[in-house]
Order: sequence, then structure tokens, then C-alpha cells
Amino acid sequence: MPTDDEIKTWMRAVAESADRPAFAALFRHFAPRVKGFLARAGTNDALAEELAQETLAALWRRAAHFDPARAQVSTWLYTIARNLRIDHYRRTGGVPAEVGEDWDPEQQPADAHLTPEELLHAAQRERSVKRALAELPPEQAQVLRLSFFDEQPHGRIARDLDLPLGTVKSRIRLAVKQLRRILERYQP
Amino acid sequence: MIQHHPGDELLLPLAAGRLNAGQAVVVSAHLETCAECRLRLHTLQALGGALLEEAEPIPLDPGAWERTLQRVDGAAHEPAGAASATASRPHPLLPAGVRWPASLQSCRVSDWRWMGPSMRYARVTVPHDPDSALYLLRIGEGRSLPRHTHGGIELTQVLCGAFDDGRSVFGPGDFDAADEAVHHQPVVQAGATCVCLAYVGARMRFDGRIASLIGGLIGM
Repeated sequence: MPTDDEIKTWMRAVAESADRPAFAALFRHFAPRVKGFLARAGTNDALAEELAQETLAALWRRAAHFDPARAQVSTWLYTIARNLRIDHYRRTGGVPAEVGEDWDPEQQPADAHLTPEELLHAAQRERSVKRALAELPPEQAQVLRLSFFDEQPHGRIARDLDLPLGTVKSRIRLAVKQLRRILERYQP
Repeated sequence: MIQHHPGDELLLPLAAGRLNAGQAVVVSAHLETCAECRLRLHTLQALGGALLEEAEPIPLDPGAWERTLQRVDGAAHEPAGAASATASRPHPLLPAGVRWPASLQSCRVSDWRWMGPSMRYARVTVPHDPDSALYLLRIGEGRSLPRHTHGGIELTQVLCGAFDDGRSVFGPGDFDAADEAVHHQPVVQAGATCVCLAYVGARMRFDGRIASLIGGLIGM
């Protein structure tokens, strides 16, 4: 398992000198995880493979955009994979006439464009998210996981946790609130 | 000063890529003006990153590395700084000095159409989701929409001006989510025309015509 520092060193090598061995190391670590994440999120095997390759190709092409002060590599790759997946479903599920319009997956509205002064706080929080997720009560961690992994997250959360659909919204709020509360504790 | 923000039940699906396109446009318009919510979204995207890291790895197909190299072969590195031009731009549909949401960048927006005295609407069409019922509404000062309720969820981002719907005052940058439980009568406050970006649920819920939709709202 590479350390955060190794991953950042590889990223820098790719961005600054188009370093193939560093790219290969990033590929070995991340491509199977992107594929695994997408499969867990209900993407079929062939598409998960395709999107995992495309996500890593985007890493190579856009390496210069990556700002280590702004995000973890895993979060950055997550947003790329997510946007490629949205893009794919919109193209194939949408109206054929609309396909071909310029739709830059990097410019999905969902991207959080933070200003420099917002970064420090954000970066500190981000590093703690994994730990905070592990500390959440299992039911709340499940609410968050299902939100990412299920096609119909609200319906699924209601079913799995045996809740009326109307209660799901407040459960999501509660789970995120608890996550933020734990993160606050980690703030220096 | 922004007082009203989207709840986590909207930000989490946005971070997870599960929010429908029309709703995502309105929530994103809010994020553009609200640093606090950008930070909240950032944390939820980091949750996605954490889930990616802990995902059970699945080996790629043999030859995946070579194919990925083919994808990038000949592709020039994109220079840094070229991404996301979200600079504030004027727009003929908005009063001078009001920022046009970057989230509308790839949307098609009609001209203003009449729906009542001092009331105009413009239809916003979202790429790949043309059924999304998304509108710009421009209501003159002192004007009000009749009391109404909603078939589904209604999301509103105030671009300029302010309205009071009896629950609270919503000013520039404010966001509101109203559902079936909300009966309200928005009244635009004196001093300025109010322009909002509004998502009013799936169009299929109504009979597919803007006139009956808005007409239903304003009693035409």
C-alpha cells in the first residue's frame, strides 16, 4: 500500500515530467479501486472497466490541474470517475438528439471550486474523513454508503433500515451532521 | 449575507452524482455564490474519495494498461489553469451587475415570456434532461404569486431581489427547497425586481405545458 507521500510524489512526476513509471504506479494502485468502486455502485463490469481506464487516462491528461493543497488524489479521482459515469448515463440514457453537445465532464456543476483561503480548512478536514467514517455508528455509516452506492438511495435506505421514506431525509441529515461533528473534533 | 442553504439531503446526492440534472443546476448555482456550501460539498466529495480508497479492488482486464496508454498517446498535457472559467459574466436576461450562474453554461435559455403583469418567465433546457422543469422567473417589486402548494419538490435560488413567503425572507444568494408540505405565497419586496432560478419538479407531473404550470401557480 503506497503512502500518501508516495502518491503525491508520483502525481508530481506525472504532472511535471510526464513520467511513465510514476503513471504506471498510480495506475496499479488506483485503477482496480476505481473499477471496484464503480462495480459496487452498480456499474456493469464492462463499463466499470472502460470508465476505470478513462479515469486514469484523465489523470494523465489533467495531472497539471491537480493541486495537492486542494484535494487528496483519491477525492480528485473520485470526482473524475463520478463525472465520467454521469456523462456516460446522460449520453446513453438521454435524448439522442442531445448527444454531441459539448459536455465537458470536468466542468460538471458539482465540482467544488474552492478559493485559496478555503483550502487549508478543507484539506485538513479531508484527511480526517476516512477516520471519521470509521467512527460513525454503523447505521449512519450505512446511510452514507448507500447514498453513494445505490441507484435509488432513498428507497434503498428506507428498505434496508426499515424506515418510512419520509424519514430517510432526516436520517441523511443526521448522518452527515454526525460526520461533521466528528470532523470538528479533529480540527486543530 | 446568505441565510438559506441547501440541506445535506441535496448536497450528499450531488456529491454522489445521484442528483438529477435539473436539481443539480439549481444547487450548483447556489454553490457558486456560497463558500460555506462549497466547503460542505468538498467534505462530502472527500467521503467519495474515502469510499474509493476502501473499495474492494477488482483487477482490470489483461491489456488494460496498454489500452490506457493508447488513450493518452499523442494526447498533450492540458496546461494548468485552463479549467473551469466561472468568471462572472453579464447576461441580457439579468439586470446589470447580476451574475449569470455558470451552472447554466451548457443550458439553453429562452427569452422572457409574459405570464402576468410585471411577471416573466424563461424556460431553461438542461442538456440530456430536456424534461427537467427548470425556469427563470422575474417578478416585479410588490408583486406576489398566489398562494400555492407543490406537486413535488421545488428548488429556488434567488439571483437578485428578495421575496417574503410568510416563512422567511429570501434574498440574493438564498436557496429554498419546498415540498408538498409547504403552502406559501411569495411576495417580492420593494426596492428591486426579483429573479429566481427555479426547479419545479418533473414536468410530467403537470400536463407538459408551461402555461398551465405557471398559470396554475399564478391563477391565469
